[in-house]
Amino acid sequence: MTDPPLSDPLLLGGRTFTSRLMLGTGKFRDLALMRDVLEVSETQIVTVAIRRVELRSPGHVGLLDALDLCRYQLLPNTAGCRTAEEAVRVARLARAATGVSWVKLEVIADPRWLLPDPVGTLRAAELLVAEGFTVLPYVQPDAVLARALERVGCAAVMPLASPIGTGRGLRTGDLLHTVLDGAGVPTVVDAGLGVPSDAAQALEAGADAVLVNTAIAEARDPVAMARAFALGVRAGRLGYLAGRMAQRACAHPSSPPQGVPRLPDPEQPA
Amino acid sequence: MRVNGEPYPHRAGLTLHALLRDLGIEPERVAVAVGDDFYPGARVPDRPLEPDDVIEIVRIIGGG
Repeated sequence: MTDPPLSDPLLLGGRTFTSRLMLGTGKFRDLALMRDVLEVSETQIVTVAIRRVELRSPGHVGLLDALDLCRYQLLPNTAGCRTAEEAVRVARLARAATGVSWVKLEVIADPRWLLPDPVGTLRAAELLVAEGFTVLPYVQPDAVLARALERVGCAAVMPLASPIGTGRGLRTGDLLHTVLDGAGVPTVVDAGLGVPSDAAQALEAGADAVLVNTAIAEARDPVAMARAFALGVRAGRLGYLAGRMAQRACAHPSSPPQGVPRLPDPEQPA
Repeated sequence: MRVNGEPYPHRAGLTLHALLRDLGIEPERVAVAVGDDFYPGARVPDRPLEPDDVIEIVRIIGGG
């Protein structure tokens, strides 16, 4: 018997990927640790952020120098942008800085919960698609919004599992199902995943990929956690492809109920 | 003139290359916007700067 394949390709933005685990590059102690994490995670898509150069101390070790750009599809984000206009501007700066037209679109007007602004996100997505960007918008799990983003030409949608950086897992589970069900573009569950089983559950439910940052960067052993997430993603995807059993309300024995070598029932006369 | 959100003294004849030199920034590590014109660091033109120009100089950092 041949083993079932541990991965099937992910088609996204006109490219083919073997890994379904995207990684964020924030919050790592140092660049060497980040590189080790990327290596063991087998990731092929990594997010980066755009920030102003500090004018008083412009020197820095460049993140781009630490990344093998032949191996990774860069996915610059617009994190921190509060309006569609800011996000479009940062996407253009990101394209100039990286030469990459992919963008993880974030329009976040709510600083406490970091929840995305659906109206601003849709408006920015439309503008960026028209400029030739491959747009992956970060959204609340809203199926109507997800379909609208598909219609304007987004390459994927990225619904949140729980608020960014919380590690609380799939708190939006039932709503996520409404986005996954019938999605016409890949769905990437992003934000709030805390442990590998969260990633496995997302893939089992039909998500095409997940994006993880804080859960790995803030683990006691980030390299081990990166490996664990890679395995969780593979397990979840394989489980999804295998097709889960139907759930039942009542118990159903796994051993045949007939032929049990019983003792006489003391309640019954012989 | 504003550079990265802060007022910056403009002087006659100031160009984009001269500004980056003044700030000690290596162009190939950044991207630059002058108003709505966006330039990869390696292809920043030596254009003259005007007193009302709004300039952004950004780089890539880690993020999720």
